[in-house]
Amino acid sequence: MPTLKIRSAGALLSAAVALWLTPAYPHAVCGARTFPATIAIDDPGVLDELTLPTVSYVPFNSDGAHEWDASFSWTKTITPGLSVVIGSGPTWEHPGGYGWNALDTELQWQALCIPDAEFMMKFGFDISWAGTGTGTFEGTGGQNTYSPLVVAGLGFGTLPQSLKYLRPFAITAEFSTSTPGQDWTNGNPNVSTFNWGFTLQYSLPYFNSQVAAIDNDFLKRLIPIAEFAFQTPIHNGAAAGVTQTGYFQPGVIYEADKWQFALEAMIPMTGATGHGAGVVGSLDFYLDDIPNRIDEPIFPHGFGIAPGI
Amino acid sequence: MRAFSVKISLFLALALAATQALAHAQLEKASPAVGGTVSRPSEIRLTFSEGVEPRFTNVSLTGPGGAAVPLGAAKTEPNNQAVLIAPITKPLAAGVYTVHWHAVSVDTHHTQGTFEFTVKP
Repeated sequence: MPTLKIRSAGALLSAAVALWLTPAYPHAVCGARTFPATIAIDDPGVLDELTLPTVSYVPFNSDGAHEWDASFSWTKTITPGLSVVIGSGPTWEHPGGYGWNALDTELQWQALCIPDAEFMMKFGFDISWAGTGTGTFEGTGGQNTYSPLVVAGLGFGTLPQSLKYLRPFAITAEFSTSTPGQDWTNGNPNVSTFNWGFTLQYSLPYFNSQVAAIDNDFLKRLIPIAEFAFQTPIHNGAAAGVTQTGYFQPGVIYEADKWQFALEAMIPMTGATGHGAGVVGSLDFYLDDIPNRIDEPIFPHGFGIAPGI
Repeated sequence: MRAFSVKISLFLALALAATQALAHAQLEKASPAVGGTVSRPSEIRLTFSEGVEPRFTNVSLTGPGGAAVPLGAAKTEPNNQAVLIAPITKPLAAGVYTVHWHAVSVDTHHTQGTFEFTVKP
């Protein structure tokens, strides 16, 4: 098993090095607005991208345990407006143990982009597959969990000139429900949740290119951001003793030519979430500028079924 | 699951290791500077993060009151396709001017933007 760990680490490292050397710009682009990849909720764009890895630590989770999480997510476009996402990753808890979370797959559709309004929206349908977890997650989830979702983003670039310093602001929001395939498993309630979150971001790259030039090369690539993400039980919450959880995640995104890096604090917003501030970091690579055929939609012209499909 | 991650990682490493730099053309720098004040500019120079196709890249200028200001044909620098230059054919009067640009990078991605500069009296 140590050999496998070394191979895995080596493979991840080689992938990271390869990506590091591959210039790309983050670009959930709609009009003059670029929405960066965010951590707590999804960005509103459908594109080829890779998040590898996202790593987080919380000192005391909802069970009172120290928790480390690592995950990856790979998005592949099928048509220009349709993509499939694959993601998973391990969790370490002390006390608790180690295990890989269930495999997630998601179908996403870019429903709307209004360039002049800097507004874009996508719909998605996520399935967390039963039986794909390992270790401490091996016995959980005897059924798939289904999550329809909607994500939207709006830039403030249409504000009048007198408010030009507010134009770099943008908001994004995500709403979804997560519903297990069965209400009960072996006498235990399965909880359905309403998941909601939003971000408020101030893009200095936007400021530099649209409002006023920034001479500092480091500063002009930063995007200060505040994220909020909550899970509210909507079915079987009382039976399972589960109440609302959520985090406030203030931080900053550095947008380089080849990648972006986000670093955020994780501040529990309810007593049931845990206590003590955690931290989360994420490396994100945008693959759709890379001319090697894994970067482009499999069907680049779509099928004419719907916009983008 | 570990084996799955190994396969994914190796695939990406092999697929991406030898690729070249192509991306959306983001505006890195402009002259006159974004939001800046100048005396008598003779050209609009836009420096993008990537090379652009001048045939499909448009630059327009509007002056005080929103009147269109004619520009010469935009061209990229001979040795640097990321720099687009649009000559200003007539001297600009004092006032606030707005540059509108729409760029198509060499890998066909579209970007656009708008910024203002001021010509001082």
